[in-house]
Amino acid sequence: MKLVKQSKGNWIYELALNEAELLLGIVKKFPVNKLAPVKISRTDKESKAKEREKMLNESLAEHRRELKKTALNLINPSKFKRVEKGLLMMLNGEERETLLQILNDIRVGCWQALGEPEELHPSKPEIDPKEFAYWSLMELAGYFEHRLICEED
Amino acid sequence: MGAGIAKPSTPRQAPYHIFMPSVLEPVKKPVIKRQSKASDDLAPTFYVVCWNDPVNLMVYVTHVFMKVFGWNKEKAQKHMLEVHEKGKSVLIREGAEKAEFYVHQLQNYKLQATMEPAE
Repeated sequence: MKLVKQSKGNWIYELALNEAELLLGIVKKFPVNKLAPVKISRTDKESKAKEREKMLNESLAEHRRELKKTALNLINPSKFKRVEKGLLMMLNGEERETLLQILNDIRVGCWQALGEPEELHPSKPEIDPKEFAYWSLMELAGYFEHRLICEED
Repeated sequence: MGAGIAKPSTPRQAPYHIFMPSVLEPVKKPVIKRQSKASDDLAPTFYVVCWNDPVNLMVYVTHVFMKVFGWNKEKAQKHMLEVHEKGKSVLIREGAEKAEFYVHQLQNYKLQATMEPAE
């Protein structure tokens, strides 16, 4: 996957056919886990902080619902155009950010499902198939995040 | 004859000490009453802090900082490296509402961001 054109807030990426298949498969898996509650502060013990935390978690749940809706649009065939070497994926700026957030949600979700390990590779040679799926998905989501961002300068 | 016209005396220079007070008066400093923290009119401010985790890619964290705060790449990278090397970075100091807004934005991108009361 590589960026072939960027102009006026529109981004065009070229993907090999197998890359496109992988990307679609990954996005279809969103979300990979239940949303874990987050803390809004590590030191603030006041009651207002509790209110803010509640609002943050509600807002994150709503945001995830929105991402879920948009995810289906992102893998709509209209976003892709067949070319000689594979497929062109056309995204506007907002869609690109959404795709990044979806991919990172998947990556972080897999990491959480694996028990939030410090080392981002399996520590034992034998992994059960479910764990293997999480490791693979986490890696692949990271690969596509990287490809989406790395050529933006 | 009387005294007659007095002979003009030669002008004498006044001794310098008559222009200067011999003793300096103590300067009284105005007493400023310090307001207690509770009666302070200023609204509390918060630090927006981003915490390190092993899962978010460095290039992704830099991108998010640029998007959320409108920073250039250099500044965004500086804060990303601070998160990576020191475990956290204070990104900005704001009032409650704005700090909360930024935390929501960063959390939408799955970064571990919190707002901590500024002392």
